[in-house]
Amino acid sequence: MCQTSTGQDKGPPPKYNPISVERGKTTFVGACGFCHGSNAKGGEKGPDLLRSVVVLDDENGNAIGPVILRGRPDKGMPRFPFTPQQIADIAAFLHDSIKNAIERDNYRILNIVTGDPKAGEAYFNGAGHCSSCHSVTGDLKGIGARYEPVTLQGKFLQPNYTWTEGTPPHTVFAITATVTLSSGESVTGVIVHYDDFNIALRDSSDTYHSFQRANGVPSVEIHNRLQAHLDLLSRYTDADIHNLTAYLVTLK
Amino acid sequence: MKIKLLFSGLCVALGVPVFAQVLDPALLTKPATEAWPTYHGDYSGRRFSTLTQINQSNVKHLTLAWIFRVKAGITPNAIVGGEGPARQGPPTDPGVSTIKATPLMVNGILYFSTPDNAWAVDARSGRELWHFAWNGKGGDHIGNRGMGMYGSWLFFETPDNYLVSLDAQTGKERWHKEIADLKQEYFSTVAPIVVGNHVLVGVSGDSLDVPGFLEAHDPETGDIQWKWWSEPLKKGDPGWDSWPDEYAMRHGGGMTWIPGTYDPALHLYYLGTGNPNPVLTGRSRKGDNLYTCSIVALNVDTGKLVWYFQPSPHDTHDWDAAQTPVLIDAEIDGKPRKLLGQANRNGYFFLLDRTNGKNILTAPMIRSMNWSKGIAPNGQPIPDPAKEATIEGVLVSPQTGGATNWPPPSYDPDTGLFYVGTSQEYSMFYLTDTDPHPEGWGAAERDAGHLGGDLEAIDIKTGKIAWDHHYPFTGGAVGILTTAGKLLFTGDGAQHLVAFDPANGDILWHAGLADDLSNGPETYMLDGQQYLVAGAGDSLYAFTLEP
Repeated sequence: MCQTSTGQDKGPPPKYNPISVERGKTTFVGACGFCHGSNAKGGEKGPDLLRSVVVLDDENGNAIGPVILRGRPDKGMPRFPFTPQQIADIAAFLHDSIKNAIERDNYRILNIVTGDPKAGEAYFNGAGHCSSCHSVTGDLKGIGARYEPVTLQGKFLQPNYTWTEGTPPHTVFAITATVTLSSGESVTGVIVHYDDFNIALRDSSDTYHSFQRANGVPSVEIHNRLQAHLDLLSRYTDADIHNLTAYLVTLK
Repeated sequence: MKIKLLFSGLCVALGVPVFAQVLDPALLTKPATEAWPTYHGDYSGRRFSTLTQINQSNVKHLTLAWIFRVKAGITPNAIVGGEGPARQGPPTDPGVSTIKATPLMVNGILYFSTPDNAWAVDARSGRELWHFAWNGKGGDHIGNRGMGMYGSWLFFETPDNYLVSLDAQTGKERWHKEIADLKQEYFSTVAPIVVGNHVLVGVSGDSLDVPGFLEAHDPETGDIQWKWWSEPLKKGDPGWDSWPDEYAMRHGGGMTWIPGTYDPALHLYYLGTGNPNPVLTGRSRKGDNLYTCSIVALNVDTGKLVWYFQPSPHDTHDWDAAQTPVLIDAEIDGKPRKLLGQANRNGYFFLLDRTNGKNILTAPMIRSMNWSKGIAPNGQPIPDPAKEATIEGVLVSPQTGGATNWPPPSYDPDTGLFYVGTSQEYSMFYLTDTDPHPEGWGAAERDAGHLGGDLEAIDIKTGKIAWDHHYPFTGGAVGILTTAGKLLFTGDGAQHLVAFDPANGDILWHAGLADDLSNGPETYMLDGQQYLVAGAGDSLYAFTLEP
């Protein structure tokens, strides 16, 4: 479930000194990795320490320290005569690894450029109808060099609804509306607000217009220059998305 | 002072128990009229009121009676509890001041909670009677669904996993009991449901891979009576063969986020369980992963599982089945049936026989849905494995937030329609943890596009959409109330409280609020007047008819 946590009252996530984390990792891999796995997720003999209640309850080595120093002879774990600093470093490494699993907004997306650029080019000029609005030598020239692949992919899936173009440069809003009153008079402009009871626009002279609405009156017609991007969402195959991404990445 | 004395004298003289803040348990088993004594008003979860004073003919004359704006945190007059470090100043997290609770209304007093805070408010005037503030040790403050009541005792959960009991009269703490370990990333949001002498409490949190559970506590002492785990704990337990090994099932998630419903005649408590863990990748948990993403029926005295139905077998998209299991009595093929309806986060509406869990109907609620290969003979959707997160990404609708979510839907027996707020959205799901034993979520989600939100009316007998109101730019999952006054109240996501005609979706009335509706609206009679109360952001708004 659950949207992203907003929890300021949760306090800032604990920060672990990266030097201590790095030292802890080295010590851990050397001494503990053989049984617990070099990423502490468990191995041949030792359990997953990132899901260990002892580790989760630990603060700065206060719970894992005694286990390290005494060992668990009944389970075949020897004792390790580590210094308090070494124990604190191992604790920092384990807690940092747990933090990385918890903080899903910071997960690093891996290599998404696995598609076929030729097929992507064919989709761009064919089934995707991208070339009916875009040109790889015009507006998209060099786009592969301007954005990381994940950002680039996000831009065709869900483009920004405002952008700058022209000389002199001016801001363009993708969505505009035309309100037609019962008198026949109509106003077209950028939408400031739109719901069942009100529509508010700014027209081309930046004048603000606000209209009450009831039962769909006055009528509102929406123009969305990016409608084609929304329509594609139900038509893309995942391969189309991968191929198109691979093609756009080549536009350097 | 003199006036106060005079008043208290009057009460004694007349023998009127004006301040007797005691809940008559009989109120819990019939439609809520003079009270709203439990999260859904009554045990059915249908959020339909039989009241008719406010109706189609006069809804245009609804007028604002009062607004109560919360001041959360350790305020000067707050009664303070909790085991955390002392805090200064008001809380900065907006979640602490957002009303997601449906307030209880008992004997003229409203009781409700937000994360770390609880209030008693005069239902006639909107004046605060007491405010209880909890000094917590942390936990996610994403929301709190409200309180439960037994006699004159109140119960609510805190983000740091305490079940707290207050004296309704004074707001003073009676006791608190820790129900889960904050360090394992559990937190608590659910409104306790009181059935007989059981206070039913659940837990939340799926950042780490810990198992979910439901507990019954004794209302007097707070002692635990039984505990039901959402998963088998060992080989041989019911459902064990839907997991590859004990390691996976013991870390399998299945949180109990949202209050359930109860059928007193069948003695069954119905609960929708949370998603499995790791959340967005299923490599380390092959199988259906029972009883995650399930609707379960538990014997309320023992906590034993009687039946289950799993709307999302082997979920890999965070689509918990925690949405309200609504109890419906209606005729199917000319025969009266005991039914259960759920508008599920995965995009399907399910109708079950609530005596045995057998599926009667499964119907899609949104057009954009693309994760399922169809419906199995037993009514379960068949997940398309190609739509599980990959390194290069897959496009999926709905998003993790779902076609709908926790805000309460409603069933109106007069129309036979089930009402739910839905959204049609797409996301890319990228596998980020390629370890054979991924942890936490294991994959990342990126928003890929929105087709908007709808208020839908679903015919329970056919699963067809009887009518649909598409919001211009907003909508989605929003709390709903229907009444015998032929009215449906909900929010439009544009800061309006709106009354619809439940038969056809016509808009009959609206009021502009200072924020979006954030809870399920409720209604009750007080002094012969019907009130409509809704929470939006940090404020409760009460409406009545013009005199």
